[in-house]
Amino acid sequence: MHIIVCMKQVPDPEGPRDAFEINQTSGLVEPRGIPPVLSLFDENALEMALRIKDVHPAGAKVSVLSMGKRVSNAVMLKALAAGADELVKVEDDSLDAGRLDSFATAQVLAGAIRKLPHDLIIVGRQAADFNDGQVGIGIAHVLDLPVVTLARALTVQGCDMRIERVLASGHEVVCASLPAVIVASNEVGELRYPSMIQRREAKQKPVHTWGLNDIGLAAAPRPRVMRRHLYTPELKLRQCRIFDGGSPADAGRNLALTLKQDRVI
Amino acid sequence: MPTENQVLVFLEMERGALHPLAAEVLGAGKQVAQGLNGGLAAVVMGGGAASDAASNVRQFGVERVYVLEHPFLEAYHGEYFCRALSEVCRMAAPTIMLMANTLVGGDLAPRLAWNLEAGLITDCVATEMAGAEITFTKPIYSGNVMAVYAPATTPTLITLRPRAFTPLTAVETPRGEIIPVSAALDQASARTTVVERIEEEGDGIKLGSAQRIVAGGRGIGRAEGFALLKDMAEALGAAIGASRPPCDLGWVPAKAQVGQTGEIVAPGLYIAVGISGSTQHLAGMVGSKTIVAINKDPQATIFKIADYGVVGNYEDVIPAITGTLREILV
Repeated sequence: MHIIVCMKQVPDPEGPRDAFEINQTSGLVEPRGIPPVLSLFDENALEMALRIKDVHPAGAKVSVLSMGKRVSNAVMLKALAAGADELVKVEDDSLDAGRLDSFATAQVLAGAIRKLPHDLIIVGRQAADFNDGQVGIGIAHVLDLPVVTLARALTVQGCDMRIERVLASGHEVVCASLPAVIVASNEVGELRYPSMIQRREAKQKPVHTWGLNDIGLAAAPRPRVMRRHLYTPELKLRQCRIFDGGSPADAGRNLALTLKQDRVI
Repeated sequence: MPTENQVLVFLEMERGALHPLAAEVLGAGKQVAQGLNGGLAAVVMGGGAASDAASNVRQFGVERVYVLEHPFLEAYHGEYFCRALSEVCRMAAPTIMLMANTLVGGDLAPRLAWNLEAGLITDCVATEMAGAEITFTKPIYSGNVMAVYAPATTPTLITLRPRAFTPLTAVETPRGEIIPVSAALDQASARTTVVERIEEEGDGIKLGSAQRIVAGGRGIGRAEGFALLKDMAEALGAAIGASRPPCDLGWVPAKAQVGQTGEIVAPGLYIAVGISGSTQHLAGMVGSKTIVAINKDPQATIFKIADYGVVGNYEDVIPAITGTLREILV
């Protein structure tokens, strides 16, 4: 069984606010002093793939697919250490994550997937930088495959899958046949932590680097939305009244009395 | 023939009625329609109750309400909904189509966009006219940067972040021509089958509709710590929420998550306990009327956006608050 997990490197989304500097000339965000990391949601997707690999009787090969102007081997090493078997990178100067929309991204990823054996393609629910949440459905559309989003668990039996799909009020069980695209929910949980040995061994795993011509594209597809500009939002600061007199219990009591007095409660 | 610039809003249904976010979606739709000098139409789809819901839309004063009723549309199924809504789009020929960025909207909008070869801007929080061009703004990089987009296709699809737009209020004279639409949906064409749906009703008050919320973060330290928060929530009649770490760590159910990928709330009172205030959490609660922060780190970001704060260990502070609340709230 062949599983492809699409993963993106993003500036650490938990970085401080002033680390996301905007270059108005280029119209891009230039992160300052924060390292690129794997998008958290893509880590959920990889964890889901590894859980299938853990239990699949015939075993499964997990390929990580990533695209960009440059894809950092150092960032992707974490995915290989956690249990992915190989890395496929699609690199081109025109594949700048800050300039592509989901439409273009899905076309490029689908082009690469066509060149790889695939039974199951798993993506994260959204990228941690642009949060578009469109690429999984896009890949399925381009490749004409069934797609199930917000999957928090799945089991594979032969060519059939049972997927637990998250709903606002609970969950539903969906059946689909392979090959298919799955959009993993963040409810899948965190990516497993690799051991030192796994980290060392990961450096020996195969890395393939492709260009756009290798996947039959002449240039990055044109976007379907136009980005006009970027700006830094103002955090709406409030004047915080701190209760610091006496013991913590006094502070708690004073807080409760003040909320009542101010008619908050 | 529809007005030249037609704005279409898709109104989700929940438990046989219009989704509570419908008025917000209509509010955004009205704003876009006014900007483009166009008309506002709505579409409602469901099993048996869609017609009633469609008549309810008339109270907001729209030009048209398209309504689709079909047994396959009773509960959300991405493939059926996409096919049915594509049909309405062909009929209504909208310039802009909007829907809420709920779990349903997040699945339906991309399906529809790919099907119609349309551009899609998700999770928008504002819309504006820049000269003759309409723009939509969405937070990126977990809310640290805002990106302003303009449509490049007709139609262009938009999903709206909950609580970001002012709800439309009812008009004096209900208005809107009801247009029934039939969609040919057949089971054989669907490639995914829903075999069962399971309700997971949490105990206590639902986050989305709560007027008061008590939320815990990583600082709570362990699952048992939430018991103190539950006591306080009970005294207040509040719902229990959480930032991402307690959900990921399994201390509370995933559905308790408040933030960018969880519930986006704006209650009258939000008490954040042991929550430092990551941007993606703030995105989910910054619209709350009154914010109270309890945290042992005086430098925590949460104090910058809070109205009241206590610096201290929550295990010492919360029992005193709960005890006092029980005395003064009868």
